[in-house]
Amino acid sequence: MQGQSQQQAYDRGITIFSPDGRLYQVEYAREAVKRGTASVGLRTPDGVVLAANRQVSSPLMERSSVEKIHKADEHIGVASAGHVADARQLVDLARRRAQGEQLRYGQQIGVETLTRAVTDHIQEYTQTGGARPFGVALLVGGIEDGEPKLFETDPSGTDYEWKAAAIGGDRDVIQGYLEENYREDLDVDGGLELAVSALSEPEDEVVAAEDVDVATITTEDESFQSVDDDRLESIIAEIETETEESDE
Amino acid sequence: MNNWTGASGPQGDADPSPYDPELGSLPNGAQGDEHGDTVNKTGTTTIGITTDDGVVIATDMRASLGGRFVSNKDVQKVEQIHPTGALTLVGSVGGAQSFIRTLRSEVNLYESRRGETMPIEALATLAGNFARGGPFRAINPILGGVDSEGSHVYSIDPAGGVMADDYTVTGSGMQLAYGLLEQEYEEGLSLDEAQSVAARAIKSAVERDTGSGNGVFLAEVTEEGVDIQGHNDFDAVI
Repeated sequence: MQGQSQQQAYDRGITIFSPDGRLYQVEYAREAVKRGTASVGLRTPDGVVLAANRQVSSPLMERSSVEKIHKADEHIGVASAGHVADARQLVDLARRRAQGEQLRYGQQIGVETLTRAVTDHIQEYTQTGGARPFGVALLVGGIEDGEPKLFETDPSGTDYEWKAAAIGGDRDVIQGYLEENYREDLDVDGGLELAVSALSEPEDEVVAAEDVDVATITTEDESFQSVDDDRLESIIAEIETETEESDE
Repeated sequence: MNNWTGASGPQGDADPSPYDPELGSLPNGAQGDEHGDTVNKTGTTTIGITTDDGVVIATDMRASLGGRFVSNKDVQKVEQIHPTGALTLVGSVGGAQSFIRTLRSEVNLYESRRGETMPIEALATLAGNFARGGPFRAINPILGGVDSEGSHVYSIDPAGGVMADDYTVTGSGMQLAYGLLEQEYEEGLSLDEAQSVAARAIKSAVERDTGSGNGVFLAEVTEEGVDIQGHNDFDAVI
């Protein structure tokens, strides 16, 4: 009895180390991320592309209520995978920090600085009694000093910088696709195509326009812009033509 | 002090308010104004001039009690607060010194966290916020610095106003110094020419303003850093 309850204690309640040095609660939080639909981010010399899969569970649900991509500040966007409610908390933190930077220094916050603020916050929830880690991963993309930047946060509070990255369900498949097809000299349109193709990779066909949420932040206007359905349709049509051609 | 509600973690610790220093706490805000004549004040004339190659800052060397008694004849009223930035002490000596220490620690934290030095405009905004916040009320410094955007001079008023200019003067001798600057300042001055103009403006103030005197400190701020030299005698620098 005693022995069993002690063993179980390593994956219950507060986050504490198991004897082999693992934090089970954090690992479970990573599993929660994998249960979410995927998001993809990539940077090109002209800007950052964020794309998220937002399939809804019923045709009766309003699609616009499924938010996977958020504007953090004029020049920074965030894509999430995992618990949406947890993501909203972190996005709101990011928004407040971005405005706090304006108040404190009168300047736009850097993408890396903002990511660090978010991961510092996430980390606190892996080390505090009674707290539950955040069951969400984020891709934070934007323009810093005129350069496109892309970072990932994970439930442990670690941040990584990427050229192109996937989070959420089927991450390995999508990341593999990105590794194979990413080129440093993509333009933003090429980036959009690659991001949507990558999201489609786990399925047999290209995703439908209504099932994805896509945004760009380009170096030209340094402004978060959602990609509208018309543009998405033409990107998807382009991908379908290319796949047909390569099939022939 | 204010209603900033920054993000709080699981233990309820909030991000620092944009109006408060991150380290240390603000002393009682009203303090600066009330001590009046008994506080050591730098009656003072301080000048900042921008040039293409950097910034020149000049200050007199007198500390006084209410402008009526010279309490120190060898005061350095310009201090480095940034790798390529300096601030003048104007008004309450205690307020100005505390302001400088606070800004230095903010500059150092910013750099060690982000791997880049704080832009001068950001430093000016922060300095204005702190002045506005209250504890440093009886000060009116000049901030001069160089960054990737070029040379900057700001005057920071006691209520937190921050104004950029090509050249600016604060302190009790400001009218005297401005009188000379309005004749002598022109665009395209070299660093050496600007130093000479600044030193002559300080001399004008020192001769007629009882709160200013005893020589001149000159700071040269360039991409390379901050070089500060004191001169009891004006002949060497005019």
